[in-house]
Amino acid sequence: MIAKSLAIDVLNAGLATGADFAEIYLEQNNSSYLMLENGKTESALSSTTYGAGIRLLNKLQSVYGYTNDLSRKGLMKLASSLAKSYQGSRQITVEKISKVRVKNAHNYQRPLTEVSREEKIALLKEAHDVIASYDKRIVRIQTSFMNNHKDVTIYNSDGKRFDDFKERGRMMFMAVASDNGKIETSFEGPGATAGMEFFTDKISVKETAQRVAELAIKMLTAAECPSGKMPVVIGNGFGGVVFHEACGHSLEATAVAKKLSVFSESLGKQIASPLVTAIDDGTIVNGWGSNNIDDEGNKTQRNVLIKDGICTSFLIDSFNGRRMGMKANGACRRESYKYEPTSRMSNTFIAAGKSTHDEIIAATKLGLYAASMGGGSVNPATGEFNFAVSEAYIIRDGKIAEPVRGATLIGSGADVLKKIDMVGNNLQRAQGMCGSVSGYIYTDVGQPTIRVSEILVGGRGGTLK
Amino acid sequence: MNHRKFFELAESKGITASEIYSAKKYSLSFELFHSEVSSYSTSESFSMSARGIYNDKFGVAITEKVNRFTPEYLVNEIIANAKVIEKNDKALLFKGSEKYHKRNLYNKEIPAISIDQKMKNLYEIEAKLKKADPRIIEIETVSYSEDAVEVNLVNSYGLNLKSKSNYYVYAAAVVVKQDEEVKTGYKVLLSNDPKELDIDKFVKQVVEDATRKLGGTQCDSKKYPVVLNQKTAASFLEPYLESANAEEVQKHSSFFIGKLNQPVASKKVTILEQPLLKNCFFRYFDDEGVATSNKKIVEKGILKTYLYNLETAQREGKVTTGNGYRGGSKIGVSFVNPSIKPGRKSEAELLSKIKTGVYISSVAGLHSGLNPQSGNFSLQAEGFMIRDGKLAEPLSLITVAGNLLDMFMDVREVANNPELQLSGISSPSLLIKKLAVSGK
Repeated sequence: MIAKSLAIDVLNAGLATGADFAEIYLEQNNSSYLMLENGKTESALSSTTYGAGIRLLNKLQSVYGYTNDLSRKGLMKLASSLAKSYQGSRQITVEKISKVRVKNAHNYQRPLTEVSREEKIALLKEAHDVIASYDKRIVRIQTSFMNNHKDVTIYNSDGKRFDDFKERGRMMFMAVASDNGKIETSFEGPGATAGMEFFTDKISVKETAQRVAELAIKMLTAAECPSGKMPVVIGNGFGGVVFHEACGHSLEATAVAKKLSVFSESLGKQIASPLVTAIDDGTIVNGWGSNNIDDEGNKTQRNVLIKDGICTSFLIDSFNGRRMGMKANGACRRESYKYEPTSRMSNTFIAAGKSTHDEIIAATKLGLYAASMGGGSVNPATGEFNFAVSEAYIIRDGKIAEPVRGATLIGSGADVLKKIDMVGNNLQRAQGMCGSVSGYIYTDVGQPTIRVSEILVGGRGGTLK
Repeated sequence: MNHRKFFELAESKGITASEIYSAKKYSLSFELFHSEVSSYSTSESFSMSARGIYNDKFGVAITEKVNRFTPEYLVNEIIANAKVIEKNDKALLFKGSEKYHKRNLYNKEIPAISIDQKMKNLYEIEAKLKKADPRIIEIETVSYSEDAVEVNLVNSYGLNLKSKSNYYVYAAAVVVKQDEEVKTGYKVLLSNDPKELDIDKFVKQVVEDATRKLGGTQCDSKKYPVVLNQKTAASFLEPYLESANAEEVQKHSSFFIGKLNQPVASKKVTILEQPLLKNCFFRYFDDEGVATSNKKIVEKGILKTYLYNLETAQREGKVTTGNGYRGGSKIGVSFVNPSIKPGRKSEAELLSKIKTGVYISSVAGLHSGLNPQSGNFSLQAEGFMIRDGKLAEPLSLITVAGNLLDMFMDVREVANNPELQLSGISSPSLLIKKLAVSGK
């Protein structure tokens, strides 16, 4: 996006006052969004973001700035103004830049940028029709398709240049069911770092749509969830948001480096039940949260965060790694050039265990089965989390009984991890968006069916009997 | 980019009316950690959002890349996007309101204060936090930021509106520890008047927010009379007002359907929208170029109006209320400076009416634990027990559950202590007859 000679000048302008590292991150992101409301195309949008972020590090300090004026004048002005925040003298000069080869790990048989709006709309209509024909009580259906193509170039004062691209696509289905003044909403949003083939061959759009319709109706007729502490079986797939919120965020160097995480001092220590092994893997082929390189140029990795309950690794970016005295492990991410990058999750999941799903249900006398989850949030310093359950049932005498709605799971990550007493063999991943300091990024959550011996459940249905 | 070139090209390609909405943003922020500037950030950015009417349908394209190819890119994307639109609504661009209550609320004092002085304020906050309480084990962050935005809305009918605004934010967060219990507390000050910064008061609020949570227990699970503090009441007001959005009503996703001129809250509740209020959220035109106005949405419990933009008003043969704001891919319906009108009693007087109850000081997980369509919620919360009319022991990791419509119908008292939140919403504390709280 800019010439190498300009990049060298900008890096050197940034290094003039003593910074020990400088980086230019350049990005152009073209995205397309189509949204159908009740089967009719209501919104079609194209957008292009374009700009550069400059980062200057000096020991444990960082300065960051961005602009979308990529002219020599614009970039030099930004680099010089950022350099003013340091008062030292030049330590390093960049003389040459060489390109680091970035290997693309993902296949795009039919790149989404080449698929017509009409074809995507036809697929959205198929999904709409499945949901619409399921039940008259479904009063509103929104189906949408987003895809983007992002080109990234990174130059840094180690004399390196990285060029990478990524293409992602996601379909989102939402159904609103209403009856007798009650309203329930359900949602599914499959996506991948892949082309159109993911939606036509890898997944069944019709089956996904069917699930959305079924869930909205099922929850509409469900009773209010009881509240109180109880054993909770959390379903596979998006159930992994439990781990993402309750534990994943607290293992990010962003929180760990400043000792602001409950797990700051936990390396090598037992932080979870011995049944738990948890992994963050940014290399999964065509994975929604995967990348070839992270947003500071490091190759993405498969990082085992917890092995048999013992904390074995954190997610580390190079800047926070300085404070921790540890090496970066490919986990540095940002939404766009408008954000300073930091350690974040990619595809994060609890590894498969030995029990079957049925065995876990059968072993539970009275409790809650949280079959699928909504979103949630966590305070990394205390580990306190909450998330909504989008599909839930009461388990009675080892069998799944009546559906219940409006459940929320509340607790602290450190506590829940220790209380996981069964782990299933049916690992599955699901797609989500994770919002944190460096913006909204694409992440997969995942897990097999697990059981937590006790969690506080919030609901409006009185005590569990 | 030359607007005229875009308008001319658009017209020549069959776009009957078009609009450019551009925003120029400037930001500055920095943060202290362990008495060092741990991050410093500055930015300037520009974005341009173009809409055009082609065959009576809207096409939209947004770009941050401005060069000689930009007009052509925007026109081509507008046409390609408009071609696939199927909804029945006729696309409309606005020719202009008769009168605009224009005001310049850009405060030049904010950028005029030197960076050194702003930095000095942060060091002072940090130093005072360090000394404030022995239980503070970490100062998580002390930060400053300021933002300025210049907006220009121009359309092919000749409408040309401009506005410029700015604000600053001081934020601090601390971690406190007592025995093995760890709690966090924070305070954010948002304003466009530098005189509002009172460092001693700010420090006191940060410390109190953390320390008063220590010793937290869980209460018995049952229904209690509840007092919501200002922040919590404002958190609930936002999704509640979402039901006044005419689009949600038209699409069967609102609990205000059929409630116009009917009760939607107790008689104690009056809800205003005041876009012309002179604070940093001030807007004199909405994102469609329509002049805004102050209005009552709910008066003494009765729903007085839904909120409309051009499109939703057209569907019902009504006039827009000037509530068209950008959200995601389109101009939807939103609100500026909404508030609950304060009552006469103090928060202490509200508490004094309760023998055993719960005071909620914050709720978390609104994006997942609250369904804006049905109004049902079940949220993580923290606060205090109320015993014999006074705040007693702190409560943590409790949940509060209910339904928004029921809750607003159950408002027994509105206090006299409104507080403007970072979200732009202002509310006093509220006394609610009963809500389900779970703990033990």
